[in-house]
Amino acid sequence: MKQLLNQKPIILLISALLLGALFILPLIVTSPSLMQIIILIVLYAYFTSTWNFVGGFAGVLPLGHSAFIGIGAYTSTVLFQTFGISPWFGMIVGGLLASLVGVIIGLPTLKLRGAYFALATIAVGEGMRVLFENVKQVGPFKINGPSGISLPLMESSFWTFQFGSKATYYYIILIMLLVVLLLTYFMMNSKVGYYLAAGGEEPEAAEALGIKVSRYKLIAMAISCFLAALGGTFYAQLMLYFYPKSIMGLDLSFEIAFIALIGGRGTILGPVLGALLLRPVSELTRIYLGASLPGLHLVIFGLILIVVMRYYPKGLVEPIKKLIDRFIHKPARGKADDPSNPSARQE
Amino acid sequence: MLGIIEALINGVLMGSIYGLTAVGLTLIFGVMKVINFAHGSILMVGMFSAYWFVKLTGLNPYLAIPVVVPFLFYFGYFMQSWIIRPIFEAEKDVREPITVIIVTTGIWYVLDNLSLLFFGAEYRVVKTSVTGKIFEFYDMYFLLPKIIGAGITILCAIYLYWFLKHSKMGKAIRATSLDREAASLMGIKQSKIYNIAFGMGCACCGMAACVLIPFYYVYPTVGVPFDIKAFIIVVLGGLGSIPGAIIGGIIVGIIENVGAQFMASTWTELLLYGVFLFVLLVKPSGLFGMKQDF
Repeated sequence: MKQLLNQKPIILLISALLLGALFILPLIVTSPSLMQIIILIVLYAYFTSTWNFVGGFAGVLPLGHSAFIGIGAYTSTVLFQTFGISPWFGMIVGGLLASLVGVIIGLPTLKLRGAYFALATIAVGEGMRVLFENVKQVGPFKINGPSGISLPLMESSFWTFQFGSKATYYYIILIMLLVVLLLTYFMMNSKVGYYLAAGGEEPEAAEALGIKVSRYKLIAMAISCFLAALGGTFYAQLMLYFYPKSIMGLDLSFEIAFIALIGGRGTILGPVLGALLLRPVSELTRIYLGASLPGLHLVIFGLILIVVMRYYPKGLVEPIKKLIDRFIHKPARGKADDPSNPSARQE
Repeated sequence: MLGIIEALINGVLMGSIYGLTAVGLTLIFGVMKVINFAHGSILMVGMFSAYWFVKLTGLNPYLAIPVVVPFLFYFGYFMQSWIIRPIFEAEKDVREPITVIIVTTGIWYVLDNLSLLFFGAEYRVVKTSVTGKIFEFYDMYFLLPKIIGAGITILCAIYLYWFLKHSKMGKAIRATSLDREAASLMGIKQSKIYNIAFGMGCACCGMAACVLIPFYYVYPTVGVPFDIKAFIIVVLGGLGSIPGAIIGGIIVGIIENVGAQFMASTWTELLLYGVFLFVLLVKPSGLFGMKQDF
């Protein structure tokens, strides 16, 4: 925390202003459809930040993250529909389940070359989708196969996790995002974070120093899956309708990975920046060109990704940071003592 | 019983075609240590080119091979040299080339959705002289194009194996995959080898596309199931091993077809993922994988 406050006053001031602006945003934006788009931006930033724990710090490429989001959504919804358990509790149960699945996948694969991990996560993501599409009912729990689950509209209350105004959803996901960003910050500056950074760069060297790299990668995986599942529950409560393809498909997994890589993998603000840039692209092309040109937004995503990876392999956070540095840190301060810049730390 | 034998043979036939796409993937991985996630999309490009070739000329689909295979070779060659090479070179010394993997995923999305934009989402079939022809053998029925396809595939894999073992270019490719630095000290130009390996991997997809076209639908996301199967196959057979890819392909084909005798076909898909995870847990290097490669 001390490090966090140890910035130049002007940066602290701007951050505080931005944060304040984020909290009064729902007072300015009154259109529910615009609010929905903003909520989705924050939600995707959240998903990507949870992805970042594994994809950013553990140095591997998870491409099946939607499986965990789906587990979260299904668990809380099914528990609510069958036993009337509040989604707030279901959320935690889903998170633990997702963690368990994540650890089971990670146990054999995190020791291997990154390519294996990427392949295994794709296979698990797709396998999970096929499983949920095949199952209509497990014991008392209704899964409904490919047609998915729609939640009954309840009275707006905290217990049912359903709210009349979009603003409430916005505050919930905003707080969730801020918590995850703080967690990311603490993890980066903790022993686990340092071990992970070492393990991602030079696994053999780190092992030789006595760091059990795969164990720390597993910890990161468990945290990441847990948090992703919480986001899944939020998604279910926001949309009130989901089906395996929408919440467990490859498209969602890849979109999350794309956002992270374009924004900046392994940085705190990269996922937020990526979501801020890419979500509007996908919403706007879907709204204005979706009917006549299906799939255009994915072509644009892919092209942006290729170009960004070509010129800024560390993501767009890098050039933007430089730009900000030029304006604020006029007398070029040593970059190395900036704790939010992991690339500086690694050098 | 006869039904199971029929399914078994059908599995081998279809599996060898899966195997050929996986050979392309494993070849690229062996040389560059990069998984080409766009592999299924390359197959889709091949299938669409074969489709339009047959549709426009009305010729025998197997005559598309001398057109589509070189086209895909150069498609892969230039994709590697224009898009992938600059990114690959930036992280040549990194142990885990993640950026390259994600760029091939970007290519996947661009290609699939471009073809959706141009050709629409409908399923297309092309009527050829072998479409729907049945081969009968002791009361068992097989699709003739599947048999021809499997034959061509096996020949192609044997040729590729011979090419890598005995030709000069093949030796250069294997040398590069064993040790990049040592190979370039011996005067092998790395970037050219990468281009050629990538082109050959894509040409395998072109070959598979041509033999698939007489009995398979073409649509923009046709590559995705093949892509996922190819991933399972290469892990099963061992990343980087060509015989492993063919045998892995046949195993996957058999699981799929024989499994369908006992359960709904959507469940056999799940069975495949199960086998995949089991192999990862028990023997991550696969059936024929080299120890140092994982």
